[in-house]
Amino acid sequence: MIKNEKSEINMEDPGGVTRLREEHEKVVKDCERRIQHWEKVSGDYDALKERLKTLPDRLSYDIMVPFGPMAFMPGKLVHSNEVTVLLGDNWFAKCSAKQAEKIVDHRMKYVKNELCGLSKTMTNFETRVGMVKDWENMVTEKGDYVDIREVIGKNDATVTKGKRRVAHRPNSKPKLETVLDLEEENEGSGEDAQQNGSTKSFMTQEELWARLDELEKIEELQNEQDSLSDSADIGSEDTSSSSSEDRNDTDSPTASNGLFVKSHINAPPSGEMKEDDEEDHSLPTIYFSHTVEPKKVRINTSKNTTLKFSERKELKEHSKRKKKNGHQNGHAHHEVHKIQTPADIYRLFVDVRNGEPVPKKSILKSRSRENSVCSDTSEGSAADMDERRMMGRSFSHDESTPSDNSDSLTEEDSTKGMPSHPAGKFEAFSGTVVEKDSMPLAVPFLTISPPALPTIMERKLEEVAVPDVEAPQQPVKRVSKFKAARMQQK
Amino acid sequence: MAEAIQKKLNTELEKYTQMQKDVSKSMSARQKLETQLAENNIVKEELDILDSANTVYKLIGPVLVKQDLDEAKATVTKRLEYINGEIQRYDTLLKDLEKKSDQHRQLLSSLQQEFQKAQGLAVGKV
Repeated sequence: MIKNEKSEINMEDPGGVTRLREEHEKVVKDCERRIQHWEKVSGDYDALKERLKTLPDRLSYDIMVPFGPMAFMPGKLVHSNEVTVLLGDNWFAKCSAKQAEKIVDHRMKYVKNELCGLSKTMTNFETRVGMVKDWENMVTEKGDYVDIREVIGKNDATVTKGKRRVAHRPNSKPKLETVLDLEEENEGSGEDAQQNGSTKSFMTQEELWARLDELEKIEELQNEQDSLSDSADIGSEDTSSSSSEDRNDTDSPTASNGLFVKSHINAPPSGEMKEDDEEDHSLPTIYFSHTVEPKKVRINTSKNTTLKFSERKELKEHSKRKKKNGHQNGHAHHEVHKIQTPADIYRLFVDVRNGEPVPKKSILKSRSRENSVCSDTSEGSAADMDERRMMGRSFSHDESTPSDNSDSLTEEDSTKGMPSHPAGKFEAFSGTVVEKDSMPLAVPFLTISPPALPTIMERKLEEVAVPDVEAPQQPVKRVSKFKAARMQQK
Repeated sequence: MAEAIQKKLNTELEKYTQMQKDVSKSMSARQKLETQLAENNIVKEELDILDSANTVYKLIGPVLVKQDLDEAKATVTKRLEYINGEIQRYDTLLKDLEKKSDQHRQLLSSLQQEFQKAQGLAVGKV
């Protein structure tokens, strides 16, 4: 029984079920055999009982007494009412036929009990055999009862597990690496690499990217045309909003370029850079060109380079290219479309420090940035702060020396509460800055460079950008980091 | 390494088979005791049927020894007690043996795993 139970638990496969069935059948057969045995015993007892009943009827019987295995001897059975009964365990009892009958009855009871128990177990196991047969049918799916769910569920679970572990992981990991490699190759060696993409699976992605690039270029061209056509109107509107001095100074060089005029909307960077940008990269949208420009200016100032204006310009361009090339592999046409996605903007606003991107402050907020930098220590290092202050001061110097616009500007500054920016005092100055040791570097810069353009830029920064302070930063924030990371990897 | 483990495994296996033999022996003994118990029960019941006029014999060797009925009853009850005690003893013994054999089986399986590992290692080395 116990053995069978165990086997029942372990039975999952059809072989096991058949074995279980065999075991059960064996038990049933055993029971049958024993029942037969007990039936025989009970029959014997019945005959014995009959004999015992009739035996005392006569005093003596003439019988053939068995004499060895072969011979019988005629004899006489006397003491017909005297029987010796084997009680069991080598106990014998001499008793009358009547008592012997009682003993026989008692034994018959026992035999009946045995028979009853055996028949019970037999029926039990017969039903079990039937059940096991049903199971067998289920497993082999021959019968009417098929438990589909169980089988499928098990299969699914095992299959998916295996797939996830074996197939998915190894695929996904090398994918990234190879894709990156391929992309780098593409940018390095041009479109040929794209065509020669090593694995077929990645080819599709490569093609997709190529297609995207094409589309971006087309879109860019369209944008450029649109901007050119719209440039005149926008330029006039924007300049009208700005002060008349600004217009006089800046519009003359920039009006010719629709793009640059457009860029006025947010904040006007230096005009000469605009022109160069357009010639080289044809930056179509306002934010991008704008954000690029001030950064360059900042870079220059941070370097504390004292250059002539033309030199500065070159340097700016150079630095700009360098910066862009840092991210891409130095392809002009790549740059063009690079700047079209929000991720590009994000990148422009992001410095990579210690391998992780750190967002820069928007350059539009060059004024307010000083403020924030003073308070926000986490944003940048002390060096950055110095750089930015430097920049602000240099600008203010430019403004103060050539034009009176700085009055309004400085007022704004004072209202903003910038203690570190003593622009108002600069009016009294002859153009030299005493505050810091690093300033002497900026002083020649002031004297050498033509002051008009920087001043304009600064003022416009103030006037136009201040209301829009939040505007340029928002796209930066909204850029999905995933996308930005991807573009950076590229 | 593998050979040593195999040696140990073999000895443990022998021990285990011996234990299994013991278990089966005690099991059969217990079964015998069970039948004896049943038989003696029957004898006792049948002795109850008899009255004092009946003579009771005990077969000792080839001879039937006449016994007193009450004496016979007493011996039978004694015998029953003894058998019950024996059955209990065998029960505890069997439990003990089962536990031991279980532990031994675990030991054997772990040994087998070790052996297989060692074998695999040896194969790998070769």
